Amino acid sequence: MKAIVIKIMICVAMLMSGIQANAQVKEFEKYADAKNVTYVYVSKFMLQMAGKAAAPSLPGMNTKSLMGKLTGIQIITSEDKSAATRLKNDTQAIVKQGKYELLMQVDEDEQKVRIYHREGKKQSAVVMLTDEEDEVAVIVFSGTFSFDDVMKMTK
Amino acid sequence: MDTLNWNELDRIPIPEGLEERLEAKIDEWEKEEEQRTKRRSLMPKVLRYTAIAASIAVVFGVGYHFIDSGEPVNLGQQDTYQDPILAQQEAERALNLLAVNLNKGMTQMEKARAISERTEITLNKQLSVLQ
Repeated sequence: MKAIVIKIMICVAMLMSGIQANAQVKEFEKYADAKNVTYVYVSKFMLQMAGKAAAPSLPGMNTKSLMGKLTGIQIITSEDKSAATRLKNDTQAIVKQGKYELLMQVDEDEQKVRIYHREGKKQSAVVMLTDEEDEVAVIVFSGTFSFDDVMKMTK
Repeated sequence: MDTLNWNELDRIPIPEGLEERLEAKIDEWEKEEEQRTKRRSLMPKVLRYTAIAASIAVVFGVGYHFIDSGEPVNLGQQDTYQDPILAQQEAERALNLLAVNLNKGMTQMEKARAISERTEITLNKQLSVLQ
């Protein structure tokens, strides 16, 4: 009898933990209702629908392999100076706290790009921070992919 | 009267084996009673565990209902696009941007590697001339 009660409790706990599971990087969710910031979220369901349609990627670039392994894309942009600065600083803090690794850094005249990567058993993420003169954009790719899957996108 | 009755009773012959039969019957009743009490004590245990399990289920159920209904809707978890084609275009755009930037970095790395190789060749040539 005790064993049954314990089993029931374990099942309930597992169900409750399942409810809390997430398909995106939670730290960026707060920008969904932030002022002067545009937040776009594309869910796994929509990505699967997109995958079925299978639009061609840019010539020489293989984006389809990663598309199939994504569980969510968050796109956060801001043209407002103070909001953009806050977004940039916040992203750097999230990346530092989340122990992301710097994958690539591209500094051009008017654009600075940082690409961070974190690989996890349950969820991996790639954060791309683009800092331009008049705009800051953060794109977060979440899913169950490896570093090699990301690098497959290069020629 | 009482004295008479006792005397009369003493005179009545006791059938053989009556005492043993009575004892056996009493033992049988005792056993039955014991089994009945055992059954009675088992029932509350089952009920107790069922009640505990039901209470846990109710607490979790009510708690989750309040958490679910009390919290405001999380906009961060809601799809921006209802149209799959628009979502697909946005996803493709984001992925292409990532691919372009990754390739930019890789191209620079390739350039740096080529320069490094050329420098090494020139250096080796100069060293061989000197030797």
